[in-house]
Amino acid sequence: MKKFVALVGTNTVKSTNRKLLKYMQKRYAEDAEIEVVELKGLPIFKKTEEVFIPQQARDIAEKIDASDGVIIGTPEYDHSIPALLSSALAWLSYGIHPLMDKPVMIVGTSYGTLGASRAQAQLRQILDSPELKATVLPSSEFLLGHSLQAFDENGDLVSATESQKLDGLFDDFLEFVALTEQLDNSKKLHEQEAADFTWDNGTTGDDK
Amino acid sequence: MVKLVAIAGSIGEQSYNRMLLEFIRDHFKKTVDIEILDINDVPMFNEDEDHNDNPVVHELARKISGANGVILATPEHNHTVPAAMKNIIEWLSNNVHPLDGKAVWIVGASYHTQGSSRAQLHLKQILESPGVNAYVMPGNEFLLSNAKEAFDADGNLKDARTVSFLESVLKKFLTFMKVIEMMDAPDPKNAHEEDMDSKHPVNTTVQDVDMTDPEWVEKAAEKTHAASGGDYVKLDRGLLTVDQLNYFLNSMAGELTFADDNNQFIYYNHNADGAHMLAGRTPDQVGDPLSAVHPDRVVEHVKQVLYALRTGESDVVSMPAQTGPNQHVMHYYRAMRDENRRYRGVNELVIDIMPILKYYLAATGQKLVKDPDAVPMSPITGLDSVTGASAHSTPATDATSGASASKSAEKPVEKPATDATSGASESSSEAAPAAAEEPVDTDALTGASEETTTDYTATEDSAPAKQPEVKPEPEATDTDATTGASQS
Repeated sequence: MKKFVALVGTNTVKSTNRKLLKYMQKRYAEDAEIEVVELKGLPIFKKTEEVFIPQQARDIAEKIDASDGVIIGTPEYDHSIPALLSSALAWLSYGIHPLMDKPVMIVGTSYGTLGASRAQAQLRQILDSPELKATVLPSSEFLLGHSLQAFDENGDLVSATESQKLDGLFDDFLEFVALTEQLDNSKKLHEQEAADFTWDNGTTGDDK
Repeated sequence: MVKLVAIAGSIGEQSYNRMLLEFIRDHFKKTVDIEILDINDVPMFNEDEDHNDNPVVHELARKISGANGVILATPEHNHTVPAAMKNIIEWLSNNVHPLDGKAVWIVGASYHTQGSSRAQLHLKQILESPGVNAYVMPGNEFLLSNAKEAFDADGNLKDARTVSFLESVLKKFLTFMKVIEMMDAPDPKNAHEEDMDSKHPVNTTVQDVDMTDPEWVEKAAEKTHAASGGDYVKLDRGLLTVDQLNYFLNSMAGELTFADDNNQFIYYNHNADGAHMLAGRTPDQVGDPLSAVHPDRVVEHVKQVLYALRTGESDVVSMPAQTGPNQHVMHYYRAMRDENRRYRGVNELVIDIMPILKYYLAATGQKLVKDPDAVPMSPITGLDSVTGASAHSTPATDATSGASASKSAEKPVEKPATDATSGASESSSEAAPAAAEEPVDTDALTGASEETTTDYTATEDSAPAKQPEVKPEPEATDTDATTGASQS
């Protein structure tokens, strides 16, 4: 059975993204073991003279390393992903590279209609950056709008259309994970690049 | 001088973006006043928490609110804005929105050739979201690549062309800021469209405080963390504490009232009870929209005054109020404009000019006699060109705050010129019959008509040879006791 890490992109107690990830955990329990992981508590990313990564970020990195893929649930703050998620991704690419070539599925919820569409688009660009280089499930968007009304008291999706769509996407993700295991031609190169990288003469376009 | 605040988007170690901001600040210090804000100690945003709990976030919001514009210098992390930069924007778009309507200039420095191009694009998208709603200067991208080699040992940019490009963009930003400032200026198309309910907030409007709340001043002050007491305020031209400013304004030889460009009554010099004022105001009225302090029937006239001042058709509108042999109270409405000539509100001065007139007559040995050749004129000046107001259509006087107008509105029409609260003498009611005949808009306060504004003409009372007891010439030179600025 596949093992996935599901990152909750926000720290609010009322997060509907957390609800969605917990729903997926329950619904796909027979196909995959999904661990919902909180980012709350991570400090804002900053570079230091001596590379220092907080223990919480190291723990998350370990979980991701041990997993077959990552699901990210992101809300949208100001048309982009929350600073918390952005910080997490920065920690997870600061001398360590747990997301490199890791299959990633993006989902998002919002209180309004748009379902975090712009945050998801930015997240794809971010995950594509040289130090993250995750492998994001293409041509897939799960945008859950009006998320406050989207779940029943058992935490299940009310809308059959939405749940069917998510089922389809998750099936695709499972296939995608199997597929990416064969995409290893550039893997060595990516690893080499990451190993050669230094903060002083960074080759990645990443800056102070 | 134009005041900007600047934020470098990375925290922790040394940053070329901060160096860039420091260079801009120092190199252009004669043109703009730039303060670089520190974001190192801002906690992680959490929508469950109130920004009020955090003094650092508070201070950031206050500084940004007070600035004319904002410069954001962003590096690029993972093809996007650093989390530290995004984090402050989240705090500043949740409970408070200091970037709303603010002009923003994005710059960026990077190690490499890209110069933070992708981060700048993300930042633009973020700043344009509804919760932030900043105005980002379009075009004019400033990307400083290869930042490591760009500065000399003193932190100056080495390349002269880069410096001159930076200068040209800064100039454009200063213009852009003016344009943005003008954008939120209310723009009624005619007098009728003047918004007396103050529903079009301007960039000085204190949001989310009920305008009609009797405690508006206290609540708005709390919301804005207003300076008070011994806090110093830098003025054009001088430096006073808030206390000193109050002593000064409260001892003015007239009643002063401030209504802003959103037609909100936000200040008067409170040196007497309403009952003892020429145009009564009470502390609980401050903050009210002008509609709340005027009776409905005068509203259209007030709108005409406001519109004439706003559009610049008049710079001053003056109107007589209580008039009579012993008193001639004038209301002067002056347009206030900022350095870009944008209308920022009306300054109302209510003053009894009779003591001045009497002093003048005594000092020069003259007296008042009726001028048989006088041409009838409107007692209201400054509005004629706009409304064609004649002596027979007398707009309400109290355009700024009709506190007294509404009060006197309850009084009988027969005694319009007599303001019960002003201690008007018996003789002042002599004007009443004339005013009572006014067919249009019997505003008790106005009471002005051709008859009441007697056509006084000053004439020589005595032969010039008979010197008045006052000797103006030698004494006059010594009048400027405070500053000693006079020639003698």
